[in-house]
Amino acid sequence: MAVSAFTPIIRISPSPYFTLPTSQYQSSFIRTRKVKPGVLTQRSLPPIAALSDPFVLEIAESLEDSLPSSSSSGLQKLRDFASESLLSTPWPSRKDEPFRFTDTSFIKQSEIIPVSSPPTPESSNNLSVFEDTQSLNLTIIDGYIISSLSQLPGLPDGVFIGSLSNITSNEIANRVLEILPSSEPGDLFWSLNGVGSPDLVVVYVPEGCKVEGPLHLRYISNEGSDKESKKLPVSNPRVLVVVEKGGEIGILEEYIGGDVDLSYWTNSVTEIAIGEEAKVSHSYIQTQSFNAAHIKWTSIRQEKSSTYELVEVSTGGKLSRHNVHVQQTGSDTITGLSTFHLSGNDQTQDLHSKIVLDHPRGYSRQLHKCIVAHSLGQAVFDGNIKVNRYAQQTDAGQLTRSLILEPRATVNVKPNLQIIADDVKCSHGASICDLEEDQLFYLQARGIDRQTARKSLIVSFGSEVIDRFPSAGLRKKVEDLVKKLLDPVVPSKVEKSV
Amino acid sequence: MALLHRFGCCSSPSPPPLLSFQKSTSGSVLFSVSALPRRHRFPRRFSSFRLTATLAAESPAGSVSDGGGGPPKLLMEVKDLTAVIAESGQKILNGVNLSIYEGEIHAIMGKNGSGKSTFAKVLVGHRDYEVTGGSVIFKDENLLEMEPEDRSLAGLFLSFQSPVEIPGVSNSDFLQMAYNARRRKLGQPELDPLQFYGYIMPKLEMVNIKADFLNRNVNEGFSGGEKKRNEILQLAVLGAELAILDEIDSGLDVDALRDVAKAVNALMTPTNSVLMITHYRRLLEFIKPTYIHIMDDGRISKTGDISIANILEKEGYKAMSTT
Repeated sequence: MAVSAFTPIIRISPSPYFTLPTSQYQSSFIRTRKVKPGVLTQRSLPPIAALSDPFVLEIAESLEDSLPSSSSSGLQKLRDFASESLLSTPWPSRKDEPFRFTDTSFIKQSEIIPVSSPPTPESSNNLSVFEDTQSLNLTIIDGYIISSLSQLPGLPDGVFIGSLSNITSNEIANRVLEILPSSEPGDLFWSLNGVGSPDLVVVYVPEGCKVEGPLHLRYISNEGSDKESKKLPVSNPRVLVVVEKGGEIGILEEYIGGDVDLSYWTNSVTEIAIGEEAKVSHSYIQTQSFNAAHIKWTSIRQEKSSTYELVEVSTGGKLSRHNVHVQQTGSDTITGLSTFHLSGNDQTQDLHSKIVLDHPRGYSRQLHKCIVAHSLGQAVFDGNIKVNRYAQQTDAGQLTRSLILEPRATVNVKPNLQIIADDVKCSHGASICDLEEDQLFYLQARGIDRQTARKSLIVSFGSEVIDRFPSAGLRKKVEDLVKKLLDPVVPSKVEKSV
Repeated sequence: MALLHRFGCCSSPSPPPLLSFQKSTSGSVLFSVSALPRRHRFPRRFSSFRLTATLAAESPAGSVSDGGGGPPKLLMEVKDLTAVIAESGQKILNGVNLSIYEGEIHAIMGKNGSGKSTFAKVLVGHRDYEVTGGSVIFKDENLLEMEPEDRSLAGLFLSFQSPVEIPGVSNSDFLQMAYNARRRKLGQPELDPLQFYGYIMPKLEMVNIKADFLNRNVNEGFSGGEKKRNEILQLAVLGAELAILDEIDSGLDVDALRDVAKAVNALMTPTNSVLMITHYRRLLEFIKPTYIHIMDDGRISKTGDISIANILEKEGYKAMSTT
């Protein structure tokens, strides 16, 4: 079993690693630019182009070709912004600090094919609508909203949930334009999403409005290919949530795959702007195919006295990476991140989180737990908390615990706090271990056999996070899922543990 | 973990209505103390003791009446037990001899590091220790060959000195899991959660703890007193022919000690036995021992009645080693 933990005070700046493009690729991307003239044409000057990564340009180009040019100025703005940054962003290598432990070659070695059209009605036939008609739900297949599988009953006045192109209110449209594009926190994958997202899903909650019941966003990756084909259909769902002053909403993001074993790549971005005294409760469940790549960006901006709580459980994907970036833009914010990753297969589960506190009296609590229950499984955690000069009386806590159950399984954790303010309360802790022998013995000493004891301790490890989901139904659902995924693992442990 | 209190886990749903169809089975039993000299009444019992010379000097100790059903049966016999710490090989037990008959209460006292707790842990099969010699027969079976869970199912219970916290496992799930394991062993049908509530409620009352205790995670965030009460609750739920109480009195205030002692006394039957480890005489006033043993350097150096505790209280262990 391999384990590494680092707690550097100051993050090492990534060493840029650029490859020089061959003229063929270079010219192709520039040619595309010429076809669609815009701001970028002037920017595609040789000095920048010389730093471009041909592989990235190739993907960018194919993404661009797969989409009709947008009529919406908002979406076009997003795409221009993203393609500009793509010109100077290479594909990440292990030499780049943010990807030091995360091997993205699974994506790179596949033939990446953009999903270019919304699913046909036939292909989405096998997906049923939700039984519970009371709840708000929106189904997004391969980045496209499917209205026939969505229900939005009884939305309060002024609330908008839907495609950017369907916004009728000028007020909302202007607000969205104002917020897009944000001061780009993202990496290559963020930008690829910007270039390739076919639509922008907007959730708008006006001032003082409290939306009853959670909004269930169901993301389905419908197009997939066989594992052996080495083809990777990529979809780029993009969501923007704006909650104005005093508003409240609960959002459940659920990522699933249409078929169990298919290969696909979901490259998703969710941005949430939380106004003064507004509250967002965010649940996130990722159970995609074990042959899929799942790259997710969640970017949060929190104004004064706002509250953001994330509860995440990720169990799917061959390569799964969640980037969470929380930026404080006002004082007295409350931020909670609770995440549980299960790597029970030949898979990588990665959480890169960053909380930036720039204002006084921010409060943040982070709990990350992961279990690696497969000898080829890997878990990665990089948790950065930055307390800047004016963020006095910040109270920030971080704890990560990893359970490593198989020989040769890998856990890489890098909790790091950067504190500049001098009147703050910060804590962090990290542990990586097998089950505790004392706990096992305690259960055995009460007559519970070792195998049952192991099983109950493993399941209980994740329940600390699962118990924080806001609804009992969700807790039960996720608990059953985790139990099911862990079940085949537990018996194989017996001969090793005895 | 305390830092994360803000996230506040949701507690389990409130307990279903109580159906108390199973009453507490064990009633309290009166002990009558006979004045017969111990060595005359049970001569064979001490044949295996090495320290017969010191025993001869002892005054007669009390013994338990057998309820008129013949001589009490031997419950556990420890002979020349030696053990080392598995990791370092350091010798801790250097030949312990002890026989416990049904219905008896034994107390082990001794200096810190004399091997009392190790002895208790070795008996329940803790992996930190390795038995290097001697034998332990429990209910006519070789205890040392059994897995820890089988020792528990056979009727041996250890109340831990510092019970471990198990976050994520609720007390009620844990107790139900353990109790059902016992019922399976006895060939009885397992209880569902509702039936189990009916069973456990009187037990909670016995140890004087509130029902919301069941929703909390095993020992997580418990005070010292709550942890000890939880140990006794488990004893009450699971039952045991031999209960080993390792410093059940440490960290308890006098009221809590009285509650715990009352529960232990209530659990005693003519066929149960208790082996308690303690530093203080106070516990012995609440739970009256039949015998007191002094442990020194990994063996029992002296056995007697309550008068030993009195001498200890006054003069310390020095008095023991010089006599």
